[in-house]
Amino acid sequence: MKIPDMAASAAVADAGIDRALFEFADYDAGAGERGGYSNYSYWRSTFRMFLANKVALFFLALLGSLLLFTIVQPFLPGQLSPTKIFNDPETGMQYRNLPPGDRFWLGTNSIGQDLWSRIWSGTRTSLLIGLSVGLAEMLIGIVFGAIWGYVRRLDRVMTEIYNVMDNVPSTVLLMLFAYIMKPGFRTMVIAMCAVGWLGLARFVRNQIIIIRDREYNLASRCLGTPARRIVTRNILPYLVSVIMLQTALSIPGTIGWEVFLTYIGLGLPVSIPSLGNLVNEGRMIMMAPELRYQLIFPTVVLSLITISFYVLGNAFSDASDPRNHV
Amino acid sequence: MSDTGSLLEVRDLVIRFSLRGRMLTAIRGASLSLAEGETLAIVGESGSGKSVLTKSFIGMLDQNGRIDSGSILFDGQDLAAFRGEEDWLPLRGKKIAMVFQDPMTSLNPLLTVGRQIREVIELHRGLSGRKAELATVEMLDKVGIVDPERRADQYPHEFSGGMRQRAVIAIAIACRPRILICDEPTTALDVTIQAQILGLIKALQRDFAFTTIYITHDLGVVANVADKVAVMYAGKIVETGTTEDIFYDARHPYTWALLSSLPQLGVKGSPLYSISGTPPSLFKEIKGDAFAPRNPHALKIDFEREPPMFTVSPTHRAATWLLDPRAPRVDPPEAIRAMREKYLGATI
Amino acid sequence: MFLYAIKRLLQSLFTLFIVVSLVFLLMRLLPIEGYFGDRFQKMSVGEVQASLGKMGLLDPWYLQLARFYAGVARGDLGVSFVYRRDVPIVKIIAPRIPYSMGFGLTAVAIAMATGLAMGVGMARSKGKFADRAGTVYIVFVNAVPLAVYLLFVQLYGSSFFHLPILFDKYDPKSWILPAISMSLNGIAFYAMWMRRYMVDELNKDYIKLARAKGLSNRTVMVRHVMRNAYVPMAQYLPAAILATIGGSIYIESLYSIPGMGGLLVDVIQRQDNAMVQALVLIFSSVGIVGLFLGDLLMALVDPRIKLVKSEGAR
Repeated sequence: MKIPDMAASAAVADAGIDRALFEFADYDAGAGERGGYSNYSYWRSTFRMFLANKVALFFLALLGSLLLFTIVQPFLPGQLSPTKIFNDPETGMQYRNLPPGDRFWLGTNSIGQDLWSRIWSGTRTSLLIGLSVGLAEMLIGIVFGAIWGYVRRLDRVMTEIYNVMDNVPSTVLLMLFAYIMKPGFRTMVIAMCAVGWLGLARFVRNQIIIIRDREYNLASRCLGTPARRIVTRNILPYLVSVIMLQTALSIPGTIGWEVFLTYIGLGLPVSIPSLGNLVNEGRMIMMAPELRYQLIFPTVVLSLITISFYVLGNAFSDASDPRNHV
Repeated sequence: MSDTGSLLEVRDLVIRFSLRGRMLTAIRGASLSLAEGETLAIVGESGSGKSVLTKSFIGMLDQNGRIDSGSILFDGQDLAAFRGEEDWLPLRGKKIAMVFQDPMTSLNPLLTVGRQIREVIELHRGLSGRKAELATVEMLDKVGIVDPERRADQYPHEFSGGMRQRAVIAIAIACRPRILICDEPTTALDVTIQAQILGLIKALQRDFAFTTIYITHDLGVVANVADKVAVMYAGKIVETGTTEDIFYDARHPYTWALLSSLPQLGVKGSPLYSISGTPPSLFKEIKGDAFAPRNPHALKIDFEREPPMFTVSPTHRAATWLLDPRAPRVDPPEAIRAMREKYLGATI
Repeated sequence: MFLYAIKRLLQSLFTLFIVVSLVFLLMRLLPIEGYFGDRFQKMSVGEVQASLGKMGLLDPWYLQLARFYAGVARGDLGVSFVYRRDVPIVKIIAPRIPYSMGFGLTAVAIAMATGLAMGVGMARSKGKFADRAGTVYIVFVNAVPLAVYLLFVQLYGSSFFHLPILFDKYDPKSWILPAISMSLNGIAFYAMWMRRYMVDELNKDYIKLARAKGLSNRTVMVRHVMRNAYVPMAQYLPAAILATIGGSIYIESLYSIPGMGGLLVDVIQRQDNAMVQALVLIFSSVGIVGLFLGDLLMALVDPRIKLVKSEGAR
């Protein structure tokens, strides 16, 4: 059997090495541990990954500016009221369907209201709905999901309830609620929450079941780790990724539902501007090319907002998934 | 055969992976040689690089992995120089075959076992139709599966763990490869099945005349099957020798530590030995001997310069400064001497 | 197999029963005007009560429920009060189903064919241009509400391609826009699913073994990866097909397609409670049946689901 030809003997190894190096080194048992040490912190890793994602940063900046502007807009100089109908002082007629110009930056709608301020007002309303619903869904979903997952005895019952609720298409259910409760802001929020909390609850429940019985959690319990610590250190990081994703994604969904309900006639009254209202108003006259701007502007704003939430939600979810951490 | 007369020869292989912008050097210059008909066992901890090394023999490194330098000489070719998939296709399954660790997941659950064996027979042996089916059944029979005709039409979930591993072995040797690589073939199996599988591979090796490489962290398996042993640590081969060399005359402190960890060597009532510390992170450059921080017998030079391979005997080499004539004489630990005495009846 | 089917059937029927009953009871919350339409304004309180009594709406809930199930067993879903006075609901609904299903099935077919191919293409060119382009499409379709981007499909479909925006069953060109609109979401879904599936599969051990056998990438893809992809899909197929019965509510309304979905919008706008009830029940039942069939199909296609007592000895 032939042996590969390498530096085979001491004679070839440098004779010039200091003999003093051939003494025993001090043995430090701790040094061995440090060799494999890694300076890992979950949250720091998450944020580092997120910040490295240029697309996400772009949308973060975009969304941030949009949100900021929406809030600040009414206080800027030269802003007009979103609900006031403007009349031409000479003729006394309403300023209908004016294209974008000096006075009305994005033009006016079919009854003479300023589109620019309506869009921002509508964004505020829709975002308010979206955020309320998102937060409510998150709370209800987490609480229900946690109980469902943790308390084994309730699992059967709650799974049945879930199956029942899941089988009615959410669109139909939503329409039903809106129909029963009469259209309005509160109705919308309640109806959407009622329909939407299921998804998150199921996710949370699944995660808890998977993680609760994972070996490392059992081991933690055996070592006497208090439940609180297990929950915050072992379980929560997994949940964060899922929860953030669901919540971020629920906002585009909510806005979508709002547009849909308004289309059917179960949305907000026309007196409250909302993106849903604006889109539908625009829809009604979209076939006329010169009036198309009334559809395009609200749609652009809506799209930017929904795409931003979607991208950010996914980006954060990816970044916070421990499996993606190096 | 390469010019040095060995079947497979690895020289100074360096393999790196890029992981989200950081470079991990999984293999830091490994060398070994394999002669025809031998059984080589590559031993080491998890993360030492054993699997990566053998995967590079069939070009199945992960997408982000690359052979940076070194050579793998086999059958007149340098496998490290292969560039595309087409280079590897005539080799895989036909000249070098592999058995993976977990038989439960190695087989496609939606295809019959026979289909999966037939696939490789049709591909490399050019048989088809009835002939291929017969060859499949013959292979199942050779690996010791009872009632092979019926079994060939069954799905993997209808096989037990041991039977699945036999099926995987059948797939591997169906085309009479020259080298069979077994990556921890028995780790996922019961102890009794383990013995059967090892025995099967040994018997097949005789009948089919191939050379075997075992990857394992189980020294018991090594003692059972291997002619030659290569000990790996942190991406390098630190000691090679025959099985007797390694078990009775180990020279590298890491090998001492490994052997001392065998529970059988422990004396009842005394604490079991385990190697303190953890292997180093391969993301960073390693200065000197990688094992130095965990080595109670480390010399100062171990932290400065990497030890070259020293020759102990024509069959036995170890990369440790302790073999340098200038180094102080160190006796192997108690446990090793006890083993020698027990099995060889000799004292140092 | 037989026993499993029976078991699942009973489970489905149970869930169906609960869903239908709950929905039925929920219906009692509907505004009363919905039973009378325009006449409501002119009726006195007494007349309203009398009318409700005659319709059986003042009886205790279990009686109403029983009567309802009896009706269903006869194939009678009641009578419309507002939408089409005194016409049996079944008669109103029946002719609409073919439209919904026709469009729906076409959309599913387009979505699957296009989406799956797209997903495969994306997985193969992972990280490169095709993958990114596909991702942009998927992000767009998922983020921007259906209600919004479909308007643009309608808009540009009619202005650039001169496709009609109102459905006319005698004009084949008017079929195009609705069918495409219905498939857009599906394409994104299947593409995303297939891409994720393929990426996951490529990491599986048995795929690695297949490659280690010396099979070319293409063979591994087709014979192992893609073939395995069809199994989980089988589960969703019946549900997707059955969902077409309900039709796409928004799209049918947008293009005035005389299907089930559009009908729901109409009856809600017109406030016809009886019809709302009937439609909601149909929509809900369809989902449950779909799930049941999906499970059965899975059991047929996936050899791992052991339904028969096997003689596989260890």
